[in-house]
Amino acid sequence: MTLQLTKKHSFDTVFDSQKVFRIILEAVSNPARVLNIAKAANKLFGDFPEILSLAMTLLDNETGFYIYGNYKNVSVESPVDTVLETAVEQLEKDIASLTLARKVEATAADFIFVCDPSSTKEAIEQAKCGTLIDPHKSATIVIQNDEELKCNLTLSGPGIDGVIKVFVSQAVKDALFYRDAQNYEYPEGIDLIFISKTGDLFAIPRLIKVVQ
Amino acid sequence: MNNNYNYAFLDEGSKREIRRSVLKAVAIPGYQVPFGSRELPIGRGWGTGGLQLTLSLIGPDDILKVIDQGSDESVNAVNIKKFVGLCTDIKTTKNTREATIIQTRHRIPEVPLRSNQILIFQVPIPEPLRVVEPREEITKKMHAEKDYSPIWLQLYESLVKYKKVTIPTEYPCMVEGRYVMNPSPIPKFDNPKLNKADCLYLFGAGREKKIYAIPPYTEVISLAFDDVPFERESFAGKICCLCGSKNTYLDEMFDAQTGEKFYQCSDTSYCQEVRQNVSK
Repeated sequence: MTLQLTKKHSFDTVFDSQKVFRIILEAVSNPARVLNIAKAANKLFGDFPEILSLAMTLLDNETGFYIYGNYKNVSVESPVDTVLETAVEQLEKDIASLTLARKVEATAADFIFVCDPSSTKEAIEQAKCGTLIDPHKSATIVIQNDEELKCNLTLSGPGIDGVIKVFVSQAVKDALFYRDAQNYEYPEGIDLIFISKTGDLFAIPRLIKVVQ
Repeated sequence: MNNNYNYAFLDEGSKREIRRSVLKAVAIPGYQVPFGSRELPIGRGWGTGGLQLTLSLIGPDDILKVIDQGSDESVNAVNIKKFVGLCTDIKTTKNTREATIIQTRHRIPEVPLRSNQILIFQVPIPEPLRVVEPREEITKKMHAEKDYSPIWLQLYESLVKYKKVTIPTEYPCMVEGRYVMNPSPIPKFDNPKLNKADCLYLFGAGREKKIYAIPPYTEVISLAFDDVPFERESFAGKICCLCGSKNTYLDEMFDAQTGEKFYQCSDTSYCQEVRQNVSK
């Protein structure tokens, strides 16, 4: 397979990757802390530069990825879906050509990118959760989400001093509900990263619990 | 900066693999994530695990401090600092408060670390169960099944033989009630600093090819029995001969001519800071 890369970007694979990684590390170490990667993401192209910057930072030929979008349900009558299909397909090609990561089945993917929150349930159900012996062989799910922050959540776990109350979108609340519905036996589990079009990013690792 | 090498020495593929392992390690506190430890221009066992973590994390905005047994000026610390400086041009410091990344061998600084600081440990033997089980595949299974009875037995045997737990360093601790972890060879004195800390702790074992982590505000409890609580080294009645501190970890010095014993802070930067504050 030969992929031609015709588009140009100014994302520095050494220094921008380092900056984005440190932001992700801070986010994973301090769950629910909102950080921003827009500065680095703006150096990339396409409709999902934030996801692409994460992929450029973490993916390479040793990793497999899968993208969830609406493109399997394309309706000719719906121009919105058609546009999304193009954008998601383009993202898939961009990740493959820029990082050399392999597109694999969702059940085998190390990284799952969800461009459309309506696919979150399927993504979480399909994601690999590792094993008790090798819990690190589990998926990280990156969910793009731009909905209004109207839900109140209380979270606790490592990285949080006691409990933290946060305002999140319905999509985030749903994602945590779907995750909990899987009843993973810790240390098995999945790690979630949420990202918005404005570059805002926060993480919910597997040990973070929703306090009822 | 030496431009014959990539920024921070490691190639970008190696950094990415280490970074992915770091993220998994933070997500599963206390779990040892395997990684492809790279060759470095220092020998394995001399801090290559910690160094690979430092090199994968460090960027132009960072300020690095390296300590060895609490000292900023030991051979290992000075050489690692020089090496990282040579391939990154970053600023280095001896001041704990100023540093963003601190690489350490065998101590946690006396100054409480902040949430924007990362402490990276050089770890010789990451597996706490190695003393009771030599086979890696078995220790992995024991961790999976949370089968820690042999390590409890080891503590119990120590109590029976010596009337106290005699493990001086690498004292095992339980992370978030799930994984028993080896906190690298820090003295027992430093174990309580791991519990519910503000900063991120990363542990790198280059020879054993393992990375593990303790995120901020994580429960880290040193193993102990209900009726025999965990006890750390006591320096009651002893003070640092340089700064007069009474509540720090002290190194014992011995004057062969006079036979006199005296004590000095192991954390040289802290000791110096106290002396400077006194002189002001």
